[in-house]
Amino acid sequence: MSRVAIVGIGHSKFGKRTDVNVAELAFESIKQAVSDAGVDKKDIKNVVVGSAGGWYEESLPAVIVNEYAGLNSVGTMRVEAACASGSAAVKAAYNSIVSGEGDVAMAVGVEKMTEVDTLTSVELIGRAGSYMWEFENYGMTFPAYYALYAVAHMNKFGTTEEDMSRVAVKAHHYGAMNPMAQFQKEITLEKALNSQVVSWPLKLYDACPLTDGSAAVVLASEDVARKLTDSPVWIKGVGYSSDSANLSKRSDYVGLEATVEAAKRAYLSAKIRPDQVDVATCHDCFTIAELMAYEDLGFCKKGDGAKLIREGQTEVGGRIPVNLDGGLKAKGHPIGATGVSMMVEVTKQLRQEAGSHQASIKNGIGLVHNVGGTGHYAYVTVLSRN
Amino acid sequence: MAEEPVLHSRRTLTLRFNIPIGKTHEFWDALKQGRFVTTKCSTCGNVCFPPQADCPKCMGDKLEWVELGRDATLVTYTYVQITPASFADSDPYIIAIGELSNGIKVLAWLEGVQPDKARPGMKLRVDTRTSKEGSPYYVFVPV
Repeated sequence: MSRVAIVGIGHSKFGKRTDVNVAELAFESIKQAVSDAGVDKKDIKNVVVGSAGGWYEESLPAVIVNEYAGLNSVGTMRVEAACASGSAAVKAAYNSIVSGEGDVAMAVGVEKMTEVDTLTSVELIGRAGSYMWEFENYGMTFPAYYALYAVAHMNKFGTTEEDMSRVAVKAHHYGAMNPMAQFQKEITLEKALNSQVVSWPLKLYDACPLTDGSAAVVLASEDVARKLTDSPVWIKGVGYSSDSANLSKRSDYVGLEATVEAAKRAYLSAKIRPDQVDVATCHDCFTIAELMAYEDLGFCKKGDGAKLIREGQTEVGGRIPVNLDGGLKAKGHPIGATGVSMMVEVTKQLRQEAGSHQASIKNGIGLVHNVGGTGHYAYVTVLSRN
Repeated sequence: MAEEPVLHSRRTLTLRFNIPIGKTHEFWDALKQGRFVTTKCSTCGNVCFPPQADCPKCMGDKLEWVELGRDATLVTYTYVQITPASFADSDPYIIAIGELSNGIKVLAWLEGVQPDKARPGMKLRVDTRTSKEGSPYYVFVPV
């Protein structure tokens, strides 16, 4: 099977972007990624656009984005895997190269979430479960989904609200170093703990914001990648899985089975163990999600997630640095862009281009963990310098 | 950053869906009568909740309606204080997942409990309700 590398990366400023429409926003990343790859855009045969959609005026974002960027007659589609749409887009672009359809492909993630009012956004995300049985009568919200997990995790393992706030403090610490992040300010534990309750036990600072943003990666086959760059970052393995839409059908609420399964498959296909990972981005749409991810990805034993954050093991210098770009919490979470943004961050880390928040790279291995919904989908992608 | 000029679109969109419930209307009919039922596959015996017209285990389509039972144990819960746009008129509510004695789990509002008094493990009962608009639904109440 042909190897595929990330050869170009692009990333927009994340935040409330009233200065651009969806196509202009995507173009910011596309332009950088094409230039970083050093490819002629005529050589890009496939463009896969990850976008959940619904919050902005365009219904067919893939064609809107391609038209604006002058990517004519490309093979294209919009893919949706909820908040994992970005990883799904990368997987689809990767597949197009592996299957021999072309030597160069691009994955673009874009979302423009602030064109509708906040409570309408809450509504759109809250409907992203089993509508009839969770929303119609009970008004589920996204924080509520993860709060159900948080209460179960607290009850079973003694995880505390303070442990969750620690994740937010870490996210803001690194977000402050990322010029592309939505929030570039440190916060204190007290500020996080005393913030407004959204869906108890989750508070404002346990939740990622609504974000406009885009990211793009150019992928190439081995032959082309070697010609284009001296520092290809290989897609070493991808694992993905899914779980029930209806939360009541899950076996428990202390971890995401889709992540466990996706990780198992990713480690198997990359032929690595979790302890070989130098740096990771984990899906921290809520602080509890990051703690569960540590456990579900095998960075620690089940139930020890809080211990890892308390000991600082997921910071630079720790056993497994996580979300050094500020994570979804501080960098922002433009749904469809997030997975691609994670690929951009881990690629930078593996290229040793992360500057002030560079992790120490020993094995040349990075991991991207991207969850769609509340573990409805999960994608784990292993990237490697080798 | 200064506010950029935006076009406030003049064309609005209201979405309201007509969701077919014909294949499992017995559930809602029973609920109206205060009964809590679900589907059981006549071929393989699999009990489903929510009710399904087709068995996800053996893919058979011969079902019978069975009583679900009312006694439950609270598995997990949350107190929702920021509600979605279409629940703007609702007071904050507790959403709970309860496990019935047959192992089936149900998600519903938990009523009649102060949010700080809810605890995993507490004993609950499924109760039926009718919305302002006349639609039947079910909730948990403490025993």
